[in-house]
Amino acid sequence: MFSALGNLQPRQLAAQILNFALVLSTAFMLWKGLSVFTNSSSPIVVVLSGSMEPAFQRGDLLFLWNRGQETQVGEIVVYNVRGKDIPIVHRVIRRFGGGSAPLQLLTKGDNNAADDTELYARGQSYLDRSKDVIGSVVGYVPFVGYVTILLSEYPWLKTAMLGFMALTVVLQRE
Amino acid sequence: MGDTKISPHSLAELKNTTDDALGNYLRGLKFEQDNTRLDVRLAIGYASVVIAAATFAADYKLGWEATKTWTAVAVVAYALLNGAFTYWMWAVEKGCVFTGVREGNKISVASKTKKHDPTYYLTISSANSGSKQITAPFTTWFTADGYFVAKPFQQWLASSVEAIGNADSKNALRDQRDEIASPSPEVELTPQGNGTADASGTDGKAKGSKRSKRKG
Repeated sequence: MFSALGNLQPRQLAAQILNFALVLSTAFMLWKGLSVFTNSSSPIVVVLSGSMEPAFQRGDLLFLWNRGQETQVGEIVVYNVRGKDIPIVHRVIRRFGGGSAPLQLLTKGDNNAADDTELYARGQSYLDRSKDVIGSVVGYVPFVGYVTILLSEYPWLKTAMLGFMALTVVLQRE
Repeated sequence: MGDTKISPHSLAELKNTTDDALGNYLRGLKFEQDNTRLDVRLAIGYASVVIAAATFAADYKLGWEATKTWTAVAVVAYALLNGAFTYWMWAVEKGCVFTGVREGNKISVASKTKKHDPTYYLTISSANSGSKQITAPFTTWFTADGYFVAKPFQQWLASSVEAIGNADSKNALRDQRDEIASPSPEVELTPQGNGTADASGTDGKAKGSKRSKRKG
């Protein structure tokens, strides 16, 4: 299998490596393109906890849209707690401001007993719509995101998958 | 030419091995390979990869908000470059596996296979003698278990294509060449000797039964 690579000219080897690099970079640029289109830093997120049951289960894939700045009560938003990189998916239960004043939101998980005030950063009582919110949920696909949860809980899976992909693309010449 | 074994059932492997052998053979015959088409493809491809890598680095270092505009620009640039890349591969390369020059004669070789058809279709465009298509089944130079045998492949090429036959007269069998193109002056039948015609003047006895059929 590898001897086939050894017989290649340097330019052809460069071409094979280019094939693999293009797979990675196209995937990445598609993701970035979607980010630009939705104006969200993370247009697709995976539900990590059961705090929104029965609406969303752990492992559901959510599609976000961040161009509507007038978020209403009852919309489901995804936000990052200031200083942490974990996205939280909860429902808006109160809003303050809006219009010319900056919009502030209070959220709560459907399956939680209390609102999110304890989850926010120290000293923070409300979410700032323009700064903290990544987007509102406009659609979802159930269960598909469980792979991502597995990949983050078992990081060696990521390396194994990438290595396998690299091998297949570089050695294949169809 | 290494003795690598391939799967004789995979049309892609048959074609790729033959394409590689063709390139090696022609380079061995001192055809100077013209790498422009491949270089352009590599340039466009790696340019787009560099843009993607730069976007990744900027995003990693500076975060989403700061790099939003640059990312938008980069995505558009990437899409354009990728489009150019695909266009180049489809329109310009068009199955070309070798372009080269030898003694002022420029040739361009493109290969093709058809689905479920174990035949090698070769289109050769030569500056001296125009364009020509030749075909042969892969079984001509592959054994049943997938080994590539260089000799019959080289003989087929040298006999069917004048430019290659001129470069490699050892492999160009007289009978087949005469069928395709009348002899050019350097390969005229020598009047003396045993009647074997041999352009390069080396011993022709090793060629076998076909040569001995020719009488003086």
